[in-house]
Amino acid sequence: MLLTYRHLGGLGVALWAVTILVCLFLLVPIVFIAALSFGSSQWLVFPPPSWTLRWYRELAADPRWLEAALTSAKVGLLSAALAVLLALMASFALVRGRFRGRGLLRALFLTPMVLPVIVFAVAIYALFLRVGLNGTLVGFVLAHTVLAFPFAVIPIVNSLEGFDKSIEDAAVLCGASPLQAKLKITLPAIRIGLFSAAVFAFLISWDEVVVAIFMASPDLQTLPVRIWGALRQDLSPVIAAASTILVAFTLLVMAAAALLRRRISR
Amino acid sequence: MTPAFLSIRDLRQTYGSFVAVDDVSLEIPEGEFLTFLGPSGSGKSTTLYALAGFNEPTSGDILLKGASILATPSHKRNIGMVFQRYTLFPHLNVRENVAFPLRVRGQAEREIAARVDQMLALVQLDAFADRMPGNLSGGQQQRVALARALAYDPPVLLMDEPLSALDKKLREEIQIEIRRIHRETGVTILYVTHDQEEALRLSDRIAVFNRGRIEQVGSGRDLYHNPATRFVAGFIGDSNFLDTAEVAVSGDRGRVVFPDGTAMGDLPVHRSAPGGGATAAQVMVRPQSLRLAAAGLPVRVLDVTFLGDTSTVQFRTGWGQEIWMRAGAEEIAGLSPDATAHLGWTAGESHLFV
Repeated sequence: MLLTYRHLGGLGVALWAVTILVCLFLLVPIVFIAALSFGSSQWLVFPPPSWTLRWYRELAADPRWLEAALTSAKVGLLSAALAVLLALMASFALVRGRFRGRGLLRALFLTPMVLPVIVFAVAIYALFLRVGLNGTLVGFVLAHTVLAFPFAVIPIVNSLEGFDKSIEDAAVLCGASPLQAKLKITLPAIRIGLFSAAVFAFLISWDEVVVAIFMASPDLQTLPVRIWGALRQDLSPVIAAASTILVAFTLLVMAAAALLRRRISR
Repeated sequence: MTPAFLSIRDLRQTYGSFVAVDDVSLEIPEGEFLTFLGPSGSGKSTTLYALAGFNEPTSGDILLKGASILATPSHKRNIGMVFQRYTLFPHLNVRENVAFPLRVRGQAEREIAARVDQMLALVQLDAFADRMPGNLSGGQQQRVALARALAYDPPVLLMDEPLSALDKKLREEIQIEIRRIHRETGVTILYVTHDQEEALRLSDRIAVFNRGRIEQVGSGRDLYHNPATRFVAGFIGDSNFLDTAEVAVSGDRGRVVFPDGTAMGDLPVHRSAPGGGATAAQVMVRPQSLRLAAAGLPVRVLDVTFLGDTSTVQFRTGWGQEIWMRAGAEEIAGLSPDATAHLGWTAGESHLFV
């Protein structure tokens, strides 16, 4: 190898420095927020004069925060389930189908990923205004399903492409109906792809704020929307506490997903 | 005449203007091991898939015990199949793979367990019941696939080049095993391969496919000794095709004059099937039928190759065609490149295709 680390000399040190800087850039704000959420200062002074759990107690005392978290979880789970279901069917069409415009359809399915979120948010807000879905759970779930869909399609298409159709054919000749063969053989065989799709889809919805702001009503808010709203009213350490919980939960989901994935792939 | 156990009648499969299977007909008795042999794209797999129900024939019919199966969907045909690729269900262990067809048939747990044990014993993999497919060799995987395909006692077992991914030694081992299993179960087997040696080793009868048609059906011996067409003569065993200058046919015997003037009589005549392409008459003779003779076809030696048990010699005829002979080392001891010799053979061992 021409470019091994050992041969870089001084450049190696520079690489290390850049890596550390990038990591700091990504992590420090999160660490600050977490630290401030435990600080006693009302004005988010850093370093905190002393440590307290007061903001977490205030957070727990306000039912609106818990409600927002529950809404987030509900929207996330429903969107993830719906996105995975739709993505599964779409993936069969993309991988197994032989029709004109397949490549185009595939690109279309991925557009929510590249379309500016604000454009999508305004568009779906205008649409839902007509059908009266703004501020409803259904509206929230549908909007987030669209956003999560491409992230579910990618892993499922990948795992389905890696699955030999002959295996499904074998199941059919063994006496399983085509649907049975898919449910009993194909789905378990691509379960890691399905699982990744569900985790991605959930996390996309869980921390989504732009579309959520458009979908939200005073009675129906997700956690990011609630944080955003609270921030605009006053800058309180309670927000830092809520943000910390949001981040902690996200990390938890990712860690659990990694563990589970290792278990199901044996 | 009672209908055969399995009949394929005028089966035709077209894709646009491409004819993949061209009016194939076959009558297969119960318990036969029949191989579809042919080059890739000759229609042998397409015919097998029609039996499996994976493609719908354009026309024609397939009858099992006298009743058409074409209207029956694949999963209700009760046909067993071993595929070219490894098709064990990756998330199920060996036992559960073999049990799968029994479970979808709703059999009782106890029956399933007994049957699975019996099948694993048949393919001699009892010790591997709890392994996952990923922890099996290719040969073991295909044996489990065989056990799975036979578990529900199908009337017909289809095998689509099941050994093509294995190396030669393993392939021969499993061929012996497949023969044994065929003997023990008596199941009717339709086997697809492009490997003539495999076909000869396994089959009761071989159907030679070429360009969507069956050129000839018969035992390996039949095909080798009495090839009906040039294609079969060239595909089964090694062969030399010699051009001719003059041909005179009377009855089923013919007399030829080769381009260099050498004459030969009393050759068995084969007429190419109508529409088989009107090419000039040729004489086919096997490399091992050729002998060095005092008089005969004058040739010049091009090369001598020592191959252990036998040697091969490359010759060129007076009119420039190459011809080769297989012989024992002592027979060709005197030959060296550029020497001249005369080749002879028993007329009955060669074939005149007109």
